[in-house]
Amino acid sequence: MRVAAFLPELLRHLFKKPATVDYPFKKLEVPANFRGTPYLRPELCIVCRACERDCPAEAIEIMAVNEAEKRFRMVIHNDRCIHCAQCVDSCPTTPKAMQIDSLYELAADDRHKLKKDWVYVRAVMKPKPAAPAKEPAPES
Amino acid sequence: MSFQIPIGPQHPALKEPISLRMTVDGEVITDADIRLGYNHRGLEKLAEEKTWVQNIYLTERICGICSHSHATCYVQAVEKLMEIMPPRRGLYIRYLVSELERVHSHLLWLGVAGHEAGFDSFFMYTWRDREIVMDLLEMISGNRVHYAMNTIGGVRRDIDEGQKAKILEGVVTLRKRSEYYFGIGANEPSFVARIAGVGMLTKQQAIDLCAVGPVARASGVARDVRKEDPYAVYDELDFNVCTSDSCDVLGRVVVRVMELLQSYNMIEQMVKGLPDGDIVVKAPRKAKPGEALSRYEAPRGENVHYIKSNGTDKPERLKVRAPTLGNYPATMVMLKKGFIADIPLIFAAIDPCICCAERAVTLISARSGEESVVTMSDLRRQALDRSKNTPVKGKSVWPF
Repeated sequence: MRVAAFLPELLRHLFKKPATVDYPFKKLEVPANFRGTPYLRPELCIVCRACERDCPAEAIEIMAVNEAEKRFRMVIHNDRCIHCAQCVDSCPTTPKAMQIDSLYELAADDRHKLKKDWVYVRAVMKPKPAAPAKEPAPES
Repeated sequence: MSFQIPIGPQHPALKEPISLRMTVDGEVITDADIRLGYNHRGLEKLAEEKTWVQNIYLTERICGICSHSHATCYVQAVEKLMEIMPPRRGLYIRYLVSELERVHSHLLWLGVAGHEAGFDSFFMYTWRDREIVMDLLEMISGNRVHYAMNTIGGVRRDIDEGQKAKILEGVVTLRKRSEYYFGIGANEPSFVARIAGVGMLTKQQAIDLCAVGPVARASGVARDVRKEDPYAVYDELDFNVCTSDSCDVLGRVVVRVMELLQSYNMIEQMVKGLPDGDIVVKAPRKAKPGEALSRYEAPRGENVHYIKSNGTDKPERLKVRAPTLGNYPATMVMLKKGFIADIPLIFAAIDPCICCAERAVTLISARSGEESVVTMSDLRRQALDRSKNTPVKGKSVWPF
């Protein structure tokens, strides 16, 4: 036991740089597989509704705009999103139609401004052997 | 002459809302009472409305600090129900995240203990070092707090060689820092004097009152699910159950610091012995009818989830027993014969997570002080009775 055992550590830290970052001016880099904001690549979506069914926060809505034209509308409610990226895991297409980016500064003064929507025509799932057969075609 | 003083539900000394009532004689507490239910969220009912996959994220949000614990406990039970076995690599990554979470939780608690004892520089240093493990968790999972690593049948993210190296590097720094804190805990006389002999809980009392986790271990009861009933990978790892015989807050600090050092060993063992292979197996969307119970050693103690399935894609019942609930009876004993000034310290020493533990509603009559525990159906009946008799408001409009 000695008095003020913590003091040498405290004095040493007087000459060290602060451990924090001046946030709005300097930003930390986010890791490579960071879970930011989900978004849709509408050209790939086959409207299987797997993301809508699995979303734990019910933040994804898919509705038909025009059944005959196979036109659909997807709304992602970013105010409800919990950034778990389950929609990306559930998406069955390759490459995935649901994607997640590394944006994290999502604050808005109105929750309705956080809504994002896409209107698109349903993509047709290509039969699997067609994809490799297509690639050599331009070469020949 | 004795007085009764209420503390909480909202009180600056408490981090979360809970109502404590202390009967005091001068400065000394002669009797303590606790009232639960202020933070009831209806989570178990909500779980019945969601599918097996959605419930992973719901159970993860039971607690902000031991989020992976609740999700893992739930997933273990669902895997038992569905009779699937995650691949070995998936299990290793899952319990690697568990141990990293234990490190972050114990470092957080050490800081809180320092803060409650009036040692705020200790609080700032431990929380700075906690950032190392938070960054590691963010690197592995992509999220800082709710890692969302678990899925039914394995984990969702793999670990590559670069990440392994970073984890090992982080653990080296953390071990050095933790050993330093261990020395501080033993050498800083003002800190030791503040926490020694506060909140006594004898070994026999800890056994009688079914204390769990570090509270039981600090009273000399070597109770740890990882050792007693090893789940998944824990029978392959080499670690000790840390106990202390001092039975007070000092013992709880010592046990947690020693557990930190054990966790670093386990993390290194798991990273170095990470097997090859898949990380996840495909899980069915529906579970067979049946029931399952799963136990998990969370940073705060034993966590129990019970699930009943009726053959659909949703659980029929999910029961959560969070470790804090197991420690409440012991806390009441610890508070007795203590001083009013020790209440925050004793209460913080069980590492309470109040929102994890709230599962019942008690109604207290304001006029007579009479208490009654009501069931959900009673509450609903009362609500219906009340609305039946009220006149229809003619001019009421929807405000939006």
